[in-house]
Amino acid sequence: MRRLIKTVALSAISMLLMCGTTNAQSRNKVRKLEYNSQYNYEVATLAVGVDGTKLVKVWGYGKKAEDAVRDAKAQGVACAIFRGFPAGSNGSAAPTPPIVTDPNAATTHEDYFVKFFEPGGKYLQYVNLSTDGVSTDRVKVNKKTYKVGVELSIAYDELRKELERQGIARKLNSGF
Amino acid sequence: MKRIGILSAALVLAVSSVMGQAKKPTIMVVPSDRYCISKGYMTKFDNQDIPDYKKALQNDADLRMAISKISGIMADREFPLKDLEQELRNISNESAESAMITGASGSSVAESPVDVLKRTAKADIIMDLDFSVVKQGPRNSIMYTLNGLDAYTSKNIASSTGVGSPSSAASVELLIEEAVLSHMDEFTGRLQAHFDDMFANGREVKIMVKVFDGSEVNLSDEVDYNGETNELAIFIEDWMADNTVSGRFSLSDGTENFQRYEQVRIPMYYERNGRQRAMDTRTFVNNLKKFVAESFNLESKVYMRGLGEAWLIIGEK
Repeated sequence: MRRLIKTVALSAISMLLMCGTTNAQSRNKVRKLEYNSQYNYEVATLAVGVDGTKLVKVWGYGKKAEDAVRDAKAQGVACAIFRGFPAGSNGSAAPTPPIVTDPNAATTHEDYFVKFFEPGGKYLQYVNLSTDGVSTDRVKVNKKTYKVGVELSIAYDELRKELERQGIARKLNSGF
Repeated sequence: MKRIGILSAALVLAVSSVMGQAKKPTIMVVPSDRYCISKGYMTKFDNQDIPDYKKALQNDADLRMAISKISGIMADREFPLKDLEQELRNISNESAESAMITGASGSSVAESPVDVLKRTAKADIIMDLDFSVVKQGPRNSIMYTLNGLDAYTSKNIASSTGVGSPSSAASVELLIEEAVLSHMDEFTGRLQAHFDDMFANGREVKIMVKVFDGSEVNLSDEVDYNGETNELAIFIEDWMADNTVSGRFSLSDGTENFQRYEQVRIPMYYERNGRQRAMDTRTFVNNLKKFVAESFNLESKVYMRGLGEAWLIIGEK
């Protein structure tokens, strides 16, 4: 009898443990999907940048802090292209529309964007300034992931002109 | 892959050479009435107070700076603006020169009262600019509004407005520059959306059909067309339905003497001598004139009010 109770208790504990592991696994999976989602932009507009630039704060994710900083820079440039920046708080800046208005541009011009955003790729040309050396917004969200906030000055006008040259963004005067 | 690239480039070139260019609207920045009233830039004309733009541009450095900044940004977007100050100067020079020109026989340049009336600074899209300094103790902030108004349909096609963050250190000039920089991308984004809609659904214009008082027929008179007897107004409406993009227009008002068509979507291009050419309201109304002449043997006159508005006046040439 005692042996039976012991067996039942052991199996109940192991089942609970298994459930916990499965939940943790699915949570991690969802988190990973969220971090890598092309729609996940955590961006705030800080102020009006100097002529042709946007001053924003972007949060990136990575296994190491420097990976997260790299991700934040790519996210900042991608946000300027595909989503635009929200308005700054307390009237500090008006919202900025995305450079590309076609919602399918990322897939239509996939080859270009894959090359553009590859490590050390052309996107870095449009990040004028960043606080990656002195960033204080560094959070370790779990054992394997860092979340780092970086202040960036993005060369928005130059980026727009590059995408117009490539025929990805429409010029204001196109068709006329 | 390379072959597909070359083929698509050739296709784009072929399409663009066949399609031609659409008529480009002119845009001009104009200080708002509210701005002119608050700064006292007003003048009397026909016992009415109207904005005195010349006075505003000659006396207001902040306004000039804001207009110059906006013009610079638009020129950078390859959409140079008409300059209000230069336009006003051109108009006064044009009237002076026109008055001086004489032919060999001594005759002067013909000018009707309508020609004189038309000699005003105008653009297809008006960028109505307004800003003011808001004081909060020692701190200043700028309340800024920029409205893009279609001169013909009177619709607000693009706008951007907001109050900047207050500052006690920055000068007012710097705050105005900051306001322009902050809002221009939002404004041009909306303008771009308007142009995209125009290319997809046709240019939105206004058309008036009127009748000369000496005309033998008016719009409610019954006429025959294609074996059907109906009012002239109905046949004109049918023509509009057949010739607008997706039959989109609205007859907003009408009597036996006039019909006001608004939100008329005319095609961007038409074919002439085997080539695509840009369509404007005058060309569109000219086609209506031909229809009226051929179908009902009626003479009419086309009066152009700009890129986006034209009138057809039935009864005389």
